[in-house]
Amino acid sequence: MNRLLLILWSLGPMLWQLYTSFRPNATLTGNPMQGGWTLEHYQALLGGNPPFWRYLLNSGVVGLSSTLLTLVVAVPCAYGLSRLGRKTARNVNVLVAIAAAFPYVLLFLALLQLARDLHLGNNLLALSLPYTGLSLPLAILLLQASFRDIPPELEEAARLEGLGLWQRLRWVLLPLMAPAIASASLLIFLFCWNEYPIALTWLSRADLLTLAPAMARIAGSSVFTVPYGGFAAATVLGSIPLIVLVLVFQRQIVSGLTQGAIKG
Amino acid sequence: MTAAANTNGSKGALKLQQLGRRVGRQQLLESLSLTVQPGEILALLGPSGCGKSTTLRLLAGLDPASSGQILLGDDDITATPPADRGVALVFQSYALYPHLSVERNLSLGPELRGTRPELIKEDINRVLDLLQLQDLRHRKPAGLSGGQRQRVALGRALLRRPRLMLLDEPMSNLDAKLREELRAELQHILRSIGAPVIYVTHDQHEAMGLADRIAVLERGQLQQVGSAEELYRRPANSFVAGFLGNPSINLLSLRPGLLIGLRPEQLRLAPAGAAPASTETSLNAQLTTREWLGDRLLLHLSSANGPLKVMRPSSDTLAAGLQPGAHLEVQWSRGDALCFDARSGERIEPS
Repeated sequence: MNRLLLILWSLGPMLWQLYTSFRPNATLTGNPMQGGWTLEHYQALLGGNPPFWRYLLNSGVVGLSSTLLTLVVAVPCAYGLSRLGRKTARNVNVLVAIAAAFPYVLLFLALLQLARDLHLGNNLLALSLPYTGLSLPLAILLLQASFRDIPPELEEAARLEGLGLWQRLRWVLLPLMAPAIASASLLIFLFCWNEYPIALTWLSRADLLTLAPAMARIAGSSVFTVPYGGFAAATVLGSIPLIVLVLVFQRQIVSGLTQGAIKG
Repeated sequence: MTAAANTNGSKGALKLQQLGRRVGRQQLLESLSLTVQPGEILALLGPSGCGKSTTLRLLAGLDPASSGQILLGDDDITATPPADRGVALVFQSYALYPHLSVERNLSLGPELRGTRPELIKEDINRVLDLLQLQDLRHRKPAGLSGGQRQRVALGRALLRRPRLMLLDEPMSNLDAKLREELRAELQHILRSIGAPVIYVTHDQHEAMGLADRIAVLERGQLQQVGSAEELYRRPANSFVAGFLGNPSINLLSLRPGLLIGLRPEQLRLAPAGAAPASTETSLNAQLTTREWLGDRLLLHLSSANGPLKVMRPSSDTLAAGLQPGAHLEVQWSRGDALCFDARSGERIEPS
């Protein structure tokens, strides 16, 4: 019974969105039992120009490329820091932590200027450059902690067996890091999926918009009318890929987030 | 092992020449010189922090030496990277790859070194047979007992066909009963490698039971090397005398400037006031407690020169009949007593 309450409490807002997305706009303020169901919000979104799935695809491309790029940079960096002396690593980590805590909105004007000068506007892959830069500090800290959790003898044993640096990373260290990499990837992907100010300023072509700016442009939204149904349907569609991701990597993510909490 | 075992060239002796390691101001190991023959097992024995693990890491190449040389056969390997030394190390924690099955734990190294797959398969099967691990080949380390993990770690080292075999307290994670059972088996396997073997332990029984020779280390300095018997009978100093033997030796200052070492098992008891024989010395003492150890009795006594331990067979009626508080004479042959310089701890041959 308690469990049921907890589930309702956590899922309530999402179920409310789902419900709203299937109701005609006119009935939203009336009796929740009356007025029937409709697919019009979904039809409007998916039949739009460009259709809504295009934004999901754009966000997916940006999210995926940013995540990959971040990992490619963060994994070697975290490995290096984890193998440095405690003192040096701590000093570097203070800088990394400051970068992680920096409110990135303050950067977006400067980033916009850079995008103009370097002709990076309206290019989805170019958008992963600032995203990678912004995700790196957190990724480095997370991955570094998990590198440190791996007993040093494991790598030493591999060294004695004649494994080179890349072989050790590929066959010994990274497989053990899978949970940490999964949870770091999800956090990076989520950030890219939700990011608004940079996407808004770097992208202007309608067919290149990512999810967040696209939702803000849903037809009819103004100070006077709020298209609740449209927003709800967009939210539902925008959450589906994330829910699928979390379900697929559920086990890795949970063990990655609780890593170090319990001594194995 | 088979003829293929000698692909790394012939197995030569290990020679350490004034090997030292210093980190900052701390001298972890000081000028260690030792020779270990192929097929010989040398135990590095000492309390924790004595430099035995430091020595092992220097030999494996995991830490750089600050001074001295390591020679293996005809090669100077002091600066050789670990992978090229032909050294295998069994870690105290075993360091098995947790995400890989027993079989993959064994095959990963040879595979990535580029050994031919047929050869790897053959080798692994032989090692699995030798260590009785065939039934466990598909298990992951988490599903193995401590003894089984140790065998996998040993197997991984054997597959390396080492020119030098190093073991870092491989038994310390096992319970006492298993340790004793495994000792003979381990000794047999280690000898079959035909390379010098260095076995680090803090357990004197293990060192005595397994090794041909024992090197005792303390504070980064070699105290003495020799067979267990040599170390027991003719310890170089009071540290070695105190470290070997269970219960440990009694060290009494009966005369100024001199420490007299008396093994508890070499002491006899006589009723209070009894006169010693002409070749014996005696000391008046009082019983504090008595431990019954089955076939033997361990008596704790106090004397004017400090506490004393005496080990007697349980058949000793005098010892068995004593009540705490009783006075008696402790006697020993003068020839059994070991003399040490009270200041330096060095043993002095009685003149």
